[in-house]
Amino acid sequence: MKRIIIDREKCDGCLNCNIACISAHEEGSNFYTVNMLSPDAETRNFIKFDAQKGYLPIFCRHCDEPECVLSCMSGALEKDPLTGHVQYDESKCAACYMCVMNCPYGVLKPDKRTRTKVIKCDFCDDKVDGPSCVKACPKKAIEVKEVSL
Amino acid sequence: MKIVIIGASAAGISAAKTIKASEPDTEVVIIAKEDRVHSRCMLHKFLGHERDVKGISFIADDFFETSGITWLNNTTVIGLDTQKKTVKTHDNQDISYDKLLIASGASYFIPPIPGLRESKNVYGFRDLKDAQLLDSECNTAKNAVVIGAGLVGMDAAVAMMERGLKVTVIEMTDAVMSLQLDQKSAQAYQQRFEEHGAAFILNDKVVSVDVDEVGRGKAIHLASGKVVPADVIVIAAGVRPAFGFITGSGIDTNHAILVGDDLQTNIDDIYAAGDVTGIAGIWPNAMKQGRIAALNMLGEKRSYEDRYALKNTVNFFGLTTLSLGNINPEPEENCEIFICEDRHNYQKVVLKNGVVQGVIIQGNIGGTGFWQYLIKNKIDISGKNKDVFGLSYADFYDQDQQTGEYRYAV
Amino acid sequence: MNTNFSCKTCASADQKLETFISNLSVDTSHHRMEGQSVKCGFGLQGICCRLCSNGPCRITPDGPKGVCGATADTIVARNFLRAVSAGSGCYIHIVENTALMLKKTAASKGVLKGKVALAKLAEIFAVDEADEHVRAEKIADMVLADLYKPDYVKMELVEKMAYKPRFDRWKELGILPGGAKSEVFAGVVKTSTNLNSDPVDMYLNCLKLGISTGLYGLTLTNLLNDVMLGEPSIRLAPVGLRVIDTDYINIMITGHQHSIFAYLQDRLIQDDVIEKAKAVGAKGFKLVGCTCVGQDLQLRGEHYQEVFNGHAGNNFTSEAILATGAIDAVLSEFNCTLPGIEPICDELKIKQICLDDVAKKANAEMKPFVFEEKESQSNDIIDSVIEAYQARRGVVALNMDADHGNDDTLTGVSEGSLKSFLGGTWKPLIDLIVKGEIKGIAGVVGCSSLTAGGHDVLTVNLVKELIAKDILVLSAGCSSGGLENVGLMSPSAASQAGSKLRAVCESLGIPPVLNFGPCLAIGRLELVATELAEAIGVDLPQLPLVLSAPQWLEEQALADGAFGLALGLPLHLGLPPFVTGSPVAVQVFTQDMLNLTGGQLIIDDNAQSAAQTLDAIIEKKRKELNI
Repeated sequence: MKRIIIDREKCDGCLNCNIACISAHEEGSNFYTVNMLSPDAETRNFIKFDAQKGYLPIFCRHCDEPECVLSCMSGALEKDPLTGHVQYDESKCAACYMCVMNCPYGVLKPDKRTRTKVIKCDFCDDKVDGPSCVKACPKKAIEVKEVSL
Repeated sequence: MKIVIIGASAAGISAAKTIKASEPDTEVVIIAKEDRVHSRCMLHKFLGHERDVKGISFIADDFFETSGITWLNNTTVIGLDTQKKTVKTHDNQDISYDKLLIASGASYFIPPIPGLRESKNVYGFRDLKDAQLLDSECNTAKNAVVIGAGLVGMDAAVAMMERGLKVTVIEMTDAVMSLQLDQKSAQAYQQRFEEHGAAFILNDKVVSVDVDEVGRGKAIHLASGKVVPADVIVIAAGVRPAFGFITGSGIDTNHAILVGDDLQTNIDDIYAAGDVTGIAGIWPNAMKQGRIAALNMLGEKRSYEDRYALKNTVNFFGLTTLSLGNINPEPEENCEIFICEDRHNYQKVVLKNGVVQGVIIQGNIGGTGFWQYLIKNKIDISGKNKDVFGLSYADFYDQDQQTGEYRYAV
Repeated sequence: MNTNFSCKTCASADQKLETFISNLSVDTSHHRMEGQSVKCGFGLQGICCRLCSNGPCRITPDGPKGVCGATADTIVARNFLRAVSAGSGCYIHIVENTALMLKKTAASKGVLKGKVALAKLAEIFAVDEADEHVRAEKIADMVLADLYKPDYVKMELVEKMAYKPRFDRWKELGILPGGAKSEVFAGVVKTSTNLNSDPVDMYLNCLKLGISTGLYGLTLTNLLNDVMLGEPSIRLAPVGLRVIDTDYINIMITGHQHSIFAYLQDRLIQDDVIEKAKAVGAKGFKLVGCTCVGQDLQLRGEHYQEVFNGHAGNNFTSEAILATGAIDAVLSEFNCTLPGIEPICDELKIKQICLDDVAKKANAEMKPFVFEEKESQSNDIIDSVIEAYQARRGVVALNMDADHGNDDTLTGVSEGSLKSFLGGTWKPLIDLIVKGEIKGIAGVVGCSSLTAGGHDVLTVNLVKELIAKDILVLSAGCSSGGLENVGLMSPSAASQAGSKLRAVCESLGIPPVLNFGPCLAIGRLELVATELAEAIGVDLPQLPLVLSAPQWLEEQALADGAFGLALGLPLHLGLPPFVTGSPVAVQVFTQDMLNLTGGQLIIDDNAQSAAQTLDAIIEKKRKELNI
């Protein structure tokens, strides 16, 4: 499967990946027009900073054995057998947030406005040219690579 | 090989899916007493008319067809012959198996209170049948009484409030959801429920129920002397593993079916998973057990280690809470308690000797999944030298260079 | 849940303030740090360029140059010179207004409270006029004439103001500034798209701006203000949130231009105005000090004991001061007037009036100060503040902290008052330094920022380390606000000094950290240093004197820093000024500067090691002076 591979040493904390993610999920927006202040603006990737380790990019791994899928009681989260990516069907989601509790890496979160859905990386719906965050990284700290399941 | 699964909830379906994904040629039969597959965690959405029956399913519509699973619904298992390797159903079928998974779950029980069991309008809130019966009661009832303010009771209450009923919740302890919450976080929910019209009677218990001439409970008498009128009564006072059909089979039980780490019972080729084992406690664990039991039935040697069940999330009226572990330690446990509180959040961390014992995160629960790892694995965080509320997965950040998956650096 | 805005606030050296802020239900800078905790590395290193539409260009391994070909060195230098130009512009704006104010005050035969300052300026400028008003007007005219010169005409007062060896060195380096306003213009032009790309040329330009900023924006602003408002004199004063008295109508002032308040502060204590206050149930009016103009009032507080209640806090304390609920109006004329006060003022019904449009706040009433209309303007202001008082008092909850701060901060220290305190000569101080009773002097100046550990954290920790090493600390700027609120400017703080400095302080009854007031008073520190150097007969870089702006915040601080480097002093900063992406910048600031001016930049966000470095520099200079 394809996974976003992280080289944290390269990350410079510019948060372009945040902007790219928000823009990719705001219909019709681009880097100039994306509304960073919209109550629906949510990023699916996170950059944390640690005084010793530096910048720490936290991106959904679409895990081999995804705890979020195993914890989902509505069938909204499923690991796609073909792409290996964990897909989320908002219409099925019951917003119980078991997945938020069970993601050991703290990637998942409830949406901040309605608390009725989960905000999770969708690998930009497996677009041909890859996830938006990867394209937006000026340091190539994140790159899509093929990994065996 | 033919695998028979009794029960079509989290553990049963998870097992079936795992079997079909790994070895599609294996014959799988699922026997369930329910009409259709549904997620019990969404029953309140059905009762509240937010979703229909289809909407609370957690599998695809054509799941059984596409995966080639035999689906025996409305079928109750009444017996088991471990010699012949067959199960007997209520309609007298003997269904043979090579391996059997018992994932029959649990059922609610009604405490022996005068009048309560006799009342025809008393329901549990455990499966679709309960919800459907309650649904028709809600069409005419005005006053609903929920006995027990645990998660299930609160689910039922919120659904009936949605239907316009006047709901009164009666609870023996001094707070709602006392297994998951502390006083403060419970208060936040109680307040929201009350703002939406619910009434709570805490620190009280039901002593008797007046039954009318047609056999319906009409008035509930409490130890305090209070009397609460009821058109419909929901009992949410706990559940017990459901395994009556194995009587005489030789399978070891105490209050639940006993299994080893491989989830096999003392009888070869018979496995159990989910609530019936008493070690599941919660949906994600049942799912995991179903998966592991399935892999073991297929010949793998996996063991189930995630016995950590003191965890839950709560989401009512847009207020979300994550609760893990020992959140209300007794003074003699000598725990340190840290509280961080503002107008949108209430957070509590219970520490003992640098190890997190429990947390409550109420409000913004985004990114809080790492806490479960810390508690489950008894990670000592004292070396982090940092405000506990500033912790995140970043403090344990590590990666597998080969796969790019995250790991914990501890 | 409670009513607190958020449970994530940044740390503060001032524990009481930290607790106070963490319990607030309004949003403050201290709360907003959390959401801004991840900083962009390109920005931190200064290697992001937004000068043209090909950008923003950022320096990366795959893109080591901007589209135009600019290297990291060029990009950093352009960004830095732009910042220094802007910072210089800010201070030049202040001195321009102050000189205009003096000119008009003198022309209208207004009160000139600072006779000594006037005489001193007349001597430096060689103005020989008998009438004090004529003399003052002439002085103001000379300052203005210099400020308005083109950049190709050198300012005339530089030579009169500067210490001779410094002036000679600047001349050699070709960094004598032309007209100060024009120099800002030149700096901006030079850094525009596809113009200057020579980092060294641009850093020399920064030094030039540093000189005009320092001598005019800082030193002269102080002295011109002293003429109008009176010279500082040493006294003990209360500081912190405790100074706010709820019995009065309270006006918080923010900015850097004390003279704008000259008329108003006298007016507020006249009988008819006090009667107006009494009519609405207050005892009268009080000015509550905040930011540098508050420090200015504190510095000259001897002259304003009735109207001035004391300095409540520095830049990042301003939101907390408002959140007490006891402030009825904010009068602002410059920075640091944080945008963050706007929603707090709205919520707590605090009237906001801006007297200078450079600091116009979005929701404030704009009332540009007009000298000729100061009487009617002051009356209008008084009336609208009374109106605000009536609308809000009793309605808005009070949240006081009578425990915060102290009553015995030593204030009013200046080049003049300190010298008088020493008996009219610098000799006692020089003797103490020669004997090693005072090992050296550190000017700890600048702002507070919320990075570098939190509010005032590095400043306070560094100062504690320095005094423990028997280094006397002189402070000017918002750093003073932090240091005084934690008690380091109270005589009892002598106990935290090393044994020798402690003995000196205890015998004189002074704290080991002397409060020179606002950031403008960095100019006063320069005067002290110059007079000391003159008395000993050495150049400034030879003095056992170091500068530190541990928590420098803004562009003005960078212009101040450029002045420090032009003076040839070692300058410590807690965090780098967005230049570390350029090897040339690092080389110039940390090494080459020693050969250029004798100055040197030291970057260190650790209080202990920074203090060690500064201590070692002082020791080295002592050795070179054979003391």
